[in-house]
Amino acid sequence: MTTTAPRPVTTVQTVATLIRDRATAAPDQVALREKSLGVWQETTWAGYWDAVETAAHGFLALGIETGDRIAIHSENRTEWVVTDSATVAVRGISMGLYPTNPSAEVEYLLGNSGSRVHVAEDQEQVDKVLAVKHNLPELEKIIYFEGRGVDRYEDPMLMSWDAFMELGRSHRAANSHALTERMAGATEDDIAYLIYTSGTTGPPKGAMLTVANVNYVVQRLADTGGIIDPPPGPEDELVSYLPLCHVFEKAFGHWFNVGKASVTNYGESLDTLPTDLREVQPTIFEAVPRIWEKMHASMLIRMSSASLLKRLNYGFWMKRAEKLGKRLVDNGGTWTPWMRVQYGLGYLFLYRAVKERLGLKRCRYGVSGAAPIAPEILEFFMGIGVPIYEGYGMTENSAVATANRPGRVKVGTVGEPYDDIELKLDEQTGEILIRHPGVFAGYWRNPEATAATLDADGWLHTGDVGEWVDGTHVKIVDRIKDIIITAGGKNISPSEIENTLKMSPFVGEVIVIGDRRKFLSALIGIDYDVVSEWAQRKGLAHTTYRDLAEKPEVRELIQRQVTDANAKFASVEQIKKFGLLTKELDHEEGELTATQKVKRSVIEEKFAEEIEAMYR
Amino acid sequence: MRGRPGLFTRYEDASAILPSGTQKVWLGIGLAVLVIAPFIVDRATLILLATAVVAAVGAIGLNLVTGYAGQVSLGHAFFLGVGAYSAAAIGGQPEEGKELIALGLDLWISLPLAGLIAALCGIVVAPVALRLRGLYLALVTLGLVFLGEHIFRNWTQLTGGQGVGREPATLSLFGYRFDLDGSVLGIDLIREQQIYFLALVVMVVMALLAKNLVRSRVGRAFAAVRDRDIAAEVMGVNLTKYKVLAFAVSSFYAGVAGALLYTVTGFLDPNAFNLFLSIAYIAMVVIGGAASIAGSIAGAFFITLLPEVIENVIHALPIDAETLFTSISTAQIERILFGVLIIVFLIFEPLGLYGIWIRIRNYWKAFPFSY
Repeated sequence: MTTTAPRPVTTVQTVATLIRDRATAAPDQVALREKSLGVWQETTWAGYWDAVETAAHGFLALGIETGDRIAIHSENRTEWVVTDSATVAVRGISMGLYPTNPSAEVEYLLGNSGSRVHVAEDQEQVDKVLAVKHNLPELEKIIYFEGRGVDRYEDPMLMSWDAFMELGRSHRAANSHALTERMAGATEDDIAYLIYTSGTTGPPKGAMLTVANVNYVVQRLADTGGIIDPPPGPEDELVSYLPLCHVFEKAFGHWFNVGKASVTNYGESLDTLPTDLREVQPTIFEAVPRIWEKMHASMLIRMSSASLLKRLNYGFWMKRAEKLGKRLVDNGGTWTPWMRVQYGLGYLFLYRAVKERLGLKRCRYGVSGAAPIAPEILEFFMGIGVPIYEGYGMTENSAVATANRPGRVKVGTVGEPYDDIELKLDEQTGEILIRHPGVFAGYWRNPEATAATLDADGWLHTGDVGEWVDGTHVKIVDRIKDIIITAGGKNISPSEIENTLKMSPFVGEVIVIGDRRKFLSALIGIDYDVVSEWAQRKGLAHTTYRDLAEKPEVRELIQRQVTDANAKFASVEQIKKFGLLTKELDHEEGELTATQKVKRSVIEEKFAEEIEAMYR
Repeated sequence: MRGRPGLFTRYEDASAILPSGTQKVWLGIGLAVLVIAPFIVDRATLILLATAVVAAVGAIGLNLVTGYAGQVSLGHAFFLGVGAYSAAAIGGQPEEGKELIALGLDLWISLPLAGLIAALCGIVVAPVALRLRGLYLALVTLGLVFLGEHIFRNWTQLTGGQGVGREPATLSLFGYRFDLDGSVLGIDLIREQQIYFLALVVMVVMALLAKNLVRSRVGRAFAAVRDRDIAAEVMGVNLTKYKVLAFAVSSFYAGVAGALLYTVTGFLDPNAFNLFLSIAYIAMVVIGGAASIAGSIAGAFFITLLPEVIENVIHALPIDAETLFTSISTAQIERILFGVLIIVFLIFEPLGLYGIWIRIRNYWKAFPFSY
């Protein structure tokens, strides 16, 4: 007779079981890399699982029960996903905060989710929660990764990551089966994540994603027949830099990693992204349009100050690339032999070098999502040989909705619905409705909002207006709430106009205004770096953002960009007047969401005077 | 990591001597040229090449103290001389009827000892550098050369005295004579080829040692002292230790180079270790490239082969060189050219030949951008 308890077998696949199984199958294979003190420090699958197991025991020692919420407030790093996976292992609910979330939002998110444990990165994030902890009765423990500055605090709630892991180790030594038993109880309906929507209108809502949702995403996006062909595997490298609390990065940077063993690399910060990309040369690169635009703009700036010979070389081959990009766009991304010859020559002279500098030399799948992207940007990247595909998805459907597929790309659309999902357009409003196993379980503690989004038949109301293109591809018109109806009664999608204007590297932010007005106007924010560089070349002395934005020469420059953009639209859709923002929009001041989306209502209120001036 | 040259997972990889495959290829080509060259060129050029290889060792030594640690030294000729005579005294064969110091020991004793004795002299001189900087240090080390010249001329038991001289150390390693014709692995080699290959092996080993030294903690300390010694001291660099170390290591290299320098010609002249020799080494460092091991080697070859090139150019000129240059000899033209070259390089390319290489590399490094 044996005295050890029988080892329970977990039948339901979770993020935790995936890591555990990978640690058994390939213990020495690299799972994660994190750049620290100048080198990329590697974590193997065995090391990864050991850390997750220890942290999970730590949570058990802290008395975390099934369904308890654990909040994470940190930049992307190894400890982020360790905490996250450990939470899922003990059947808790993992909730991420954006590193930029200010104190007031931290209070709202922790209060709304009712988190028992808050895991903060460093002194900055710890200070944010300490300032509001008296309003958070459910909060019990604050764990921090970096001790600098925080170690001197004498708050009984605080606990260092090292002490927490030590707690986990001693708990594991004393109760070696506790975690296995807890994991064995996991069901498909367990809520694994609370992902807060960015909240362009009203406060953020916590979308509940279940274990089944996550498993569906891994299978739908990353298995054979998913979006990437061949599917991601251990040879693939990804750089994780978008916030991990957003479903986009969770899918690519975390779920692909645990589900398909692609290697995730954590760079030093968002500022070092260009260097990190160049070093890692990822094979799969996920980015929001802002990042693609930045890459494009940074190249234009650096090129403008290159030597004559280099500029000529660039000019010649970029013209070829433009033509190639257009051809590719026209025939859905298929190459003809003659195009290959042209590309091969250009590769030798320019494209290889450009791709290498951008860190996309080995990129076999680039994806743009989370917001609409300008077709010209797509053409540019396709032209230099970066396969880039626009996709569509949202937190509420676990990022599974539509995507452009290799060889079947239609620029300006978000692609075709996945094979076995249901997608239809509402007959009256044109709103996109979606039904599949990845659709979320509802909003946390918010049945009204859930009822408004998820109808009785299980259809998800996305809030996006779409239309069919050629019967196969979906084009997103705009958010249903953002559609402008002019005084003349014409329906206009502001985002299309905004994106066209944002194609100019000088333009950073555009907010088109015109609801119930005689004509369209726009508030435009210049891209400080690019305009500053332009001003320097013109010998235009300037100091701050405001100073630069108020220069008559800059106004003229932007006027030219507006005129160019207007040429592409019908008269009613043209911007007749515009005002320049005199400050950079900021998350801290509530003008942008954590994902850098403009909060229209806040802007319209804050800049009411400027707006009225344009209609006077 | 393979295929991702920028992705370093360990510090060892990030500070590797040859971080990229391209560099490995170039090094391979360079070594292949150096190995094949002695079988192609004539004997006169071979002697020059062998001298250049030995000079490269000395140039690396001077570059360590001047290029890396920033201590200007005009006394390199003195250390070369110390090395040459130490080796001759320890490794030379005693001759009948001459009262010369000659212990007749094997090369494996005489070569390192020559280096060590020179290093010892370096350590004695180094404290001066703790007190003086820049021009003043240059002046003191200049004095060293004259001191050395005086000693070498008058210590006849060691040097044979002015106008007489002596033979350098016998190149006998574990009984194998490099200074005679011989055959290695079935390949017949003449005396000069043998010496050349001996020198080449010494140079490669010494270059590797120097490369390792400069990418280590010591090398970083040297660079810190060079860039600003007070700032270096504030950062915790022990000035006394590293300045003395710089002189000691540099002198060791000079000693080893000196031991081999005149073996190919087979005659040591006490007047050889003069200011002009010091300046030639300074030129190697400046033209090759300060703070670069590869540059030191390039500079040594450039300076050593320059007279040959000048001569050929003059002979190739369509005008009658004899009438044009009646008042100046080729040796003088050479000196003038040295001076001009040093000035030109200091003004237009302070990083030397290595700097030109860097410039070409950077053009492609940032391609298609300019920075």
